[in-house]
Amino acid sequence: MKVTFKIWRQEGPKDKGAIRDYEVDGLTEEMSFLEALDHLNELLVLKDEKVIAFEYDCREGICGQCGVFINGRAHGPHDNITTCQLHMRSFNDGDTIVVEPWRAASFPVIKDLVVDRSSLDRIIEQGAFISAKTGTAPEANAIPIPKEISGRAMDAAACIGCGACVATCKNSSAALFTSAKINHLNTLPQGKAEEHKRVAEMTFQMEIEGFGSCTFTGACEVECPEGISIINIAEMNARVTKSRIFG
Amino acid sequence: MNPLFFRKTIIAATGLFLCVFLIVHLSANCILLLPEDIARDLYNSYSTTLRESPLIKIIAYVLYVSIILHAFYALLITLRNRKAKPQKYVVNHSNENSTWTSQNMGLIGTLILLFIIVHLANFWARIKLGMGEDVRLDHMGNKDVYEVTYSLFQNIYFVIFYTLISIPLALHLHHGLKSAFKTLGFYHKKGLKILAKISLIYAIIMGVGFGIIPFIVYFK
Amino acid sequence: MTLDSKIPEGKLEDKWRNYQVKSRLINPANKKKLNIIVVGSGLSGAGAASTLAELGYDVKCFCYQDSARRAHSVAAQGGINAAKNYQHDGDSVYRMFYDTLKGGDFRSREANTYRLAELSAPLIDHFVQQGVPFAREYGGTLVNRSFGGVQVQRTFYARGQTGQQLLLAAYSQLYKMVRAKKVEMFPRSEMLDLVVIDGKAKGIIVRDLVTGELKRFAADAVVLATGGYSRVFRLSTLAIGCNGSALWKAHKKGALFGAPSFTQIHPTALPQSSEAQSKLTLMSESLRNDGRIWVPKQKDDLRKANEIPEDQRDYYLERRYPSYGNLAPRDIASRAAKERIDAGFGVGKLKNAVYLDFKHAIEKFGLETIKDRYGNLFTMYEKITGINAYKEPMQISPAAHFSMGGLWVDYELMTTIPGLYAIGECNFSDHGANRLGANSLLQASVDGYFILPNTINNYLASEIKTDHPTTDHPEFEKSEKETKAHIEQILTINGTKTVDHFHRELGKVMWQECAMSRNKSGLEKAITQIKTIRDQFWSDVKVTGHDKEMNTELEKALRLADFIELGILMCTDALEREESCGAHFREEFQTEDGEAVRVDKDYSYVSAWEYDNGNFNLHKEELEFEFVKPSVRSYK
Repeated sequence: MKVTFKIWRQEGPKDKGAIRDYEVDGLTEEMSFLEALDHLNELLVLKDEKVIAFEYDCREGICGQCGVFINGRAHGPHDNITTCQLHMRSFNDGDTIVVEPWRAASFPVIKDLVVDRSSLDRIIEQGAFISAKTGTAPEANAIPIPKEISGRAMDAAACIGCGACVATCKNSSAALFTSAKINHLNTLPQGKAEEHKRVAEMTFQMEIEGFGSCTFTGACEVECPEGISIINIAEMNARVTKSRIFG
Repeated sequence: MNPLFFRKTIIAATGLFLCVFLIVHLSANCILLLPEDIARDLYNSYSTTLRESPLIKIIAYVLYVSIILHAFYALLITLRNRKAKPQKYVVNHSNENSTWTSQNMGLIGTLILLFIIVHLANFWARIKLGMGEDVRLDHMGNKDVYEVTYSLFQNIYFVIFYTLISIPLALHLHHGLKSAFKTLGFYHKKGLKILAKISLIYAIIMGVGFGIIPFIVYFK
Repeated sequence: MTLDSKIPEGKLEDKWRNYQVKSRLINPANKKKLNIIVVGSGLSGAGAASTLAELGYDVKCFCYQDSARRAHSVAAQGGINAAKNYQHDGDSVYRMFYDTLKGGDFRSREANTYRLAELSAPLIDHFVQQGVPFAREYGGTLVNRSFGGVQVQRTFYARGQTGQQLLLAAYSQLYKMVRAKKVEMFPRSEMLDLVVIDGKAKGIIVRDLVTGELKRFAADAVVLATGGYSRVFRLSTLAIGCNGSALWKAHKKGALFGAPSFTQIHPTALPQSSEAQSKLTLMSESLRNDGRIWVPKQKDDLRKANEIPEDQRDYYLERRYPSYGNLAPRDIASRAAKERIDAGFGVGKLKNAVYLDFKHAIEKFGLETIKDRYGNLFTMYEKITGINAYKEPMQISPAAHFSMGGLWVDYELMTTIPGLYAIGECNFSDHGANRLGANSLLQASVDGYFILPNTINNYLASEIKTDHPTTDHPEFEKSEKETKAHIEQILTINGTKTVDHFHRELGKVMWQECAMSRNKSGLEKAITQIKTIRDQFWSDVKVTGHDKEMNTELEKALRLADFIELGILMCTDALEREESCGAHFREEFQTEDGEAVRVDKDYSYVSAWEYDNGNFNLHKEELEFEFVKPSVRSYK
């Protein structure tokens, strides 16, 4: 099949950047979207052009490194998948496919489709951990955790940190990302000791990084590859209030 | 508290207060639907009671402050949110993952704010501040607010304006009501499902109610 | 060179304690003065970096991804084994040790394997404390499930995302120490050389993948935690960025490479569907609990799977291994699939797959039960292939997966270069010739959290007195210069073929000759072919862009250059080992009905290869079985 890619090209962070067109032939329906870009890059090399920088690693939907805006949707036209899980059979022969990097003030473009998501790491750094040292753990079954509680923690913990929530949110809010982590740890008994500090510091960092605020458009939960529910944000809001009162 | 959470909490709290206010407001407006002879007296005496009750006076001030805070913090947040996404997508199909309303609460809110200004000029300025044409007294000695309303809605342009504005109002209330609860930390899964339905019903009642009354008055 | 594995004295169960009692210690004030470099931020790297930092060392941690959370430990689905005996089914440290040793076909050290089993229980405690949401019973206790090759239930899991949850716990702990300013994190940084001063590892050369700048980092010890190298086959279950370059650079600087050819081929991955394919996605092995594997009895059968009647289907695993059937161990299941595919019975567009059929299971247990058990896997399958596997059988195919081989390490996890450690998948230690399911996360974690932080003192205690290295040492100068020249050489070739082209060529040769089954002439041919690929690569590769920018094509080229050389070593190792053991199956050494024949008398050793200017010299670490008598693995 043959498609026209319209891809954002930008040399570096200070460069202005623009959309460039590439007609690509020889694609097959079985190819993943990223493999189509690989294919395009090989063609570019042979034409003596610089390759398009784009990100990926595991290519099985779990590492969270891939992620671009495809035809106006984070991770492409389907709900709840990663870019690497998108295949060319989702497009038609002759289609035009617009590919842009994640857009957010907190995700500055490094090159082409590659953005810097270290702001998410810095939110994690502010308390998404349990401050116990290696070697200090009590017996694993000493604290029973009912299935329902561990299940809820797991629902939130499934976040892969791809940043699609921020990318798709009109406010570039990182509320879904932050709330998922907070709710994972604060739901478990192991996380209780630091619950208020964690909530206060992680949400504060979220603001320092320049993410916008959540206005519950709900776009994030549709684009989230793990389908993490927006109810997590409401729960985080409750925890913020709680941490104000008891923290 | 973190500034963003503080602002959002204010918007949600004031929003909820305004939602309650609208219920009272619409109930009062329903008086207008009664036959004219009953409606005029009832309406005028009701509004006099409101103007003279000290409790209502306090609530009125809370109302003014709520509107101002709601709009002011919404403006601040919107500006900040825009700064958080300085570059827009060339192609963005946000309608595939969210409602148009949720994407445009700021715009809708601005329309409603414009309406409120007009609305206040139509009623509040005349009745309370005594600006513009004098308000006559009715046979019971109350300010004839009914007459003010009635005469306003003889103007088809105002009728259309008031009716049309009920559409963004309903949209704003639908998204605003359920979101306010979430902002304030209500996260009960089943509760939120019920809340979504309540929000829809509430928004329809408010939209239809406020939208239809000017028309009925016009044809009365 | 004599290889000293430094196994402590005493009974099997006392060895680790005996080691710790005698190991040298460093007082906290001195730990602050010691710098450690950790390359890799996966389960072993992040675990080691955070634990070493907690102990007081000054740690720098490097990864090529944009964040430590991306490391490929994240992709492990199944679980992590531990001898907790929570199910009261007769499990014990000794049983787990024996299962692991036997699973590895008796090609690993007893003492290491025992320690792995011994430390598994406290590791579960550790992860629970760090907030890993392992599966629980309604009453709140931990759940276990069974996994291939064992008869007890000792696998802990967090849905199908165990690796992710463990990695995120390690990543969190790492960032806790970043916040405490005890770890400095360097994402988007790739190690391109090891710096050895006076015979000891003292630093690394790193390329900043954003600016392209080469940077020098000095330390008192270097820890490699860079994972497996199965991307040498190009198509594998690994992440695209996974590479063997750090290992290879260390190898070239003198570290011996242990059992490079021991590579596990996983039987249940999705088949390749086109030339352009970059990755083979793994489907959890647990599917084999209910799915039946078959191919048509008739060659080149063009009918759809559902149109082929029962009597024309060949359930070859059930036929060949009646007692284990579809649950035969990974190496055996993979080999049997290859045998059928090579014989022309493969299915699918490229005739490179076999069917994994749930028809009978659905008939027997009902659709809902199957959905409940494997729903997420069926969804994943449909996302990738567009096929509804409830209605027609899945197509699966073997894929390169885990590297049992890696840098040779002693009991302390130190390589043959003093001060250079290798932990996790990148070393050769506990798995022998074949790894059991759910032992990979275990080994990575135990190495990083528990073993290395206890053994590194023993070396560093003597380094306090020696001069701390600085980056203006001539060896740093030399290393950086060589690295620079290497990069320039690649960029100036300006040939006619892409990096991926050569990688595909290498992958084809490796997959054909050095994967599931190997033979002498094939391996000899492969070595010649790879050498040709190497020469063509260095004369005809084309990389655009320059080195002072983010250049993903250059990154790929640098990794491939090392993979090509590693490929030669893998074939050399496979050629040398004239026996069949675990994942290493030499066609010349099999019984009449196609089962592996191990030759303990001649090959009961770990091969450790020394780099010698493009050639490889073999050293042997003889394996002594003091406590266990090697037996024949049979799954008939």
